Amino acid sequence: MKQTVSASPHITNPKNSTRRIMIDVLIALAPCLIAAIVFYGYHVVINLVVCLIFCFGTELLYGLIISKNFTKSGVKQSSVFDLSFAVTAVILTLNLPSVMPVNAWGMNAVNANGAIVFSFDTVVLCALGSIFAIALVKMLFGGIGRNFANPACTGRVFLFIAFGAAGAFNVSSSLFGDMATTGATWLGDKGAVGGSMLLDMFLGNTATAAVGETCVIAVLLGYIYLSVRRVIDPRVPLITVASLALFVFLFDIVPSGIRGSQMFYRTVAHLLSGGLLFGSVFMATDYATSPNTVAGKAIFAVGIGLITALIRAFGNFPEGFSFALLIMNLVVPLLDKYIIPKPFGYVKPVKEKKEKKSKNADGAGGEKAVKS
Amino acid sequence: MKTSTFKHGIHVPHNKMTEHSPLVDCPAPNTVYIPLAQHIGKPAKPCVAAGDKVKAGTLVGCADGFVSANVFSSVSGTVKCIERRKTPTGNCDHVVIENDGLYETEYLPPVADRSRDCILARLKDAGIVGMGGAGFPSHIKYAPKTPVDCFIINAAECEPFITCDCRLLIEHTEDVLHGADILAGLLGLDRFYIGIEDNKPQAIGEIERVCREYKIPATVVVCKSKYPQGAEKQLIYSVTKRKVPTGGLPADVGVVVGNVHTAYSVYEAVEKNIPLFRRAMTVTGDISEPKNIWVRTGTLYSDCVAFCGGIPSDSVKTVSGGPMMGFALDDTTYSVTKTSGALLFLNGTDANTQKPQPCINCGKCAGACPMKLMPMYIDAYTLRGDYGAAKRYGAMNCIECGCCAFTCPAKRPIVQSVKLAKRKIKEMGL
Repeated sequence: MKQTVSASPHITNPKNSTRRIMIDVLIALAPCLIAAIVFYGYHVVINLVVCLIFCFGTELLYGLIISKNFTKSGVKQSSVFDLSFAVTAVILTLNLPSVMPVNAWGMNAVNANGAIVFSFDTVVLCALGSIFAIALVKMLFGGIGRNFANPACTGRVFLFIAFGAAGAFNVSSSLFGDMATTGATWLGDKGAVGGSMLLDMFLGNTATAAVGETCVIAVLLGYIYLSVRRVIDPRVPLITVASLALFVFLFDIVPSGIRGSQMFYRTVAHLLSGGLLFGSVFMATDYATSPNTVAGKAIFAVGIGLITALIRAFGNFPEGFSFALLIMNLVVPLLDKYIIPKPFGYVKPVKEKKEKKSKNADGAGGEKAVKS
Repeated sequence: MKTSTFKHGIHVPHNKMTEHSPLVDCPAPNTVYIPLAQHIGKPAKPCVAAGDKVKAGTLVGCADGFVSANVFSSVSGTVKCIERRKTPTGNCDHVVIENDGLYETEYLPPVADRSRDCILARLKDAGIVGMGGAGFPSHIKYAPKTPVDCFIINAAECEPFITCDCRLLIEHTEDVLHGADILAGLLGLDRFYIGIEDNKPQAIGEIERVCREYKIPATVVVCKSKYPQGAEKQLIYSVTKRKVPTGGLPADVGVVVGNVHTAYSVYEAVEKNIPLFRRAMTVTGDISEPKNIWVRTGTLYSDCVAFCGGIPSDSVKTVSGGPMMGFALDDTTYSVTKTSGALLFLNGTDANTQKPQPCINCGKCAGACPMKLMPMYIDAYTLRGDYGAAKRYGAMNCIECGCCAFTCPAKRPIVQSVKLAKRKIKEMGL
């Protein structure tokens, strides 16, 4: 009888697998996706399908080219079956506006009222974003677990910078007149905030730059699910949100001279609008691009909060979460290099030095101290 | 019940299918192959030659050097030859004895008196070693150079599947506790602790009853059923809240940890004059009749398998020891030694046969590591050949418990990397 010989342990946890984690993330993303479809309609579904197809195709093709194996076995060995491409695709979809018309292209079907029925521009941008995210950010750096930045976030920022001026991200564009209830996002003008407006932000509205940010409840559901399933460290989003609240209060609310209840209302509005909540739950907790130590994660989360607040208070853009995340992604390798947790039973070297001196003095145990 | 525990670690399915199977005698085969290296240190020197008549308990291998232990014949019969055979950790000489089926015995003379030196000499003469797996000679361990103020009997048995220590505690409670008392006496202590996981209520009940009845000065510390509760450093922390310094020994914090079976063997050697040639072993997993057996050293694993009804054809793995830290074997032609606590068979669904995938940096291994290391980096740097970096991330502090690899969603063989890193670091003198 042929017996397998390998190193211990001989059993593993059957409930743990990369694919299981990805499925958990997809389940957690479902409420946000549903909310996006409810508020933005079928455009979101089209974007999602395009992103899924292009993310899948890019990853599969890249794997086939690298392995130079275009047969069935090559497909079977492909990394796409861990479903991480689907997570990237869904997060990218939820990070984009529902319709992104490019002024120069204008490949859109418009109905009698002037509203866009089908936007081919958007399809092209979704495909470009997907290819960028998977090929450039993820696969070129070694595939799953090796990407230096969050693929979906980078894809979004790429589209935002490359096509922002062409109108793609201008949510207050007249073409959206019939779709947006309150026009531009609150971060665009930072006007006075009322209780009903906050409630609107909490329950869901169409005044968001990206479709996934629409409903805070949906994000919270995803957060709870991921925390219960222990997929993410629940502290990371909390620290991110808390540090953003602190820093916008210091940099934006206090210097603006607003006093009274508006101080509180506006801080809360900062938390509820933009990509902060969605991003801190689904993107700041991305395994590959966040630190592996508790201390590192805390610094990472505070850094995101700080940079987002700086961009919101002083920057050119109304919203800065994506940039903050990307910048902090680049700090992760440093955090992981210099923050190494102390092993169980670690003895401080400073203490040992003292011991060494005293022990050397009486001539005993000096050797032991040198050894350790 | 309040339980004490350590930080991190994992919950593994217990699979203690032999929990209620009493220890039964496994008949000795016609030929036994007694390894001369059943302990850490130098293998024993053979002191019999082909053709010699031996009895069960006859010395066949003399301790050779300071860290070594005596080896005894487990059956009566004739020495056939001395043969080099394989063991799970390498090759060594085996004394091959033809069993005459009479089981005549030759035990040690009674101990002269109960002085410390006499009992230590008895441990040495009876070939007692740590029976939890390490096989460190007991006469050295229980004569520590540094003062010890705490003795713990490790009854945690945190490895899944294994139940032989638990059965010993249930069926031979008095003997084990008296043995432990003798060991505590050697350390100059008048009390000792028993660290046991809370998934063995029957054993806990028995221990408490016997302690009351015989006034044995033992404190039972019930620990949470969590892997690796029975790892020395973790058990010491659970029981005493002392942390063994990195790279240090339990003696550095004044603790000695002893094994249940060792305590039992000490009792037999001191009170009944029986040298160590027999032990309790769990034969379990994917086998027709999982059992706890009394088995004589030198019996081949294949003989134990035959006694337990044979293994089904879909068995893919034979493991000497538990599933988390045991050695995988290529077949069953290995001998039972003083340290063989379990023989485990796994089929394709239980055993980890999945191909490793790329690390996704989830950090679950770091969360599971009871030594608070960063296994993902040790793995990555070892594969890259950067052993200095592997050392920086704590490779040398690894206890190889397997929590990281068990919990890894990408099924990476992290422990294998760490073992390689440790070896390379030692070789390169980093």
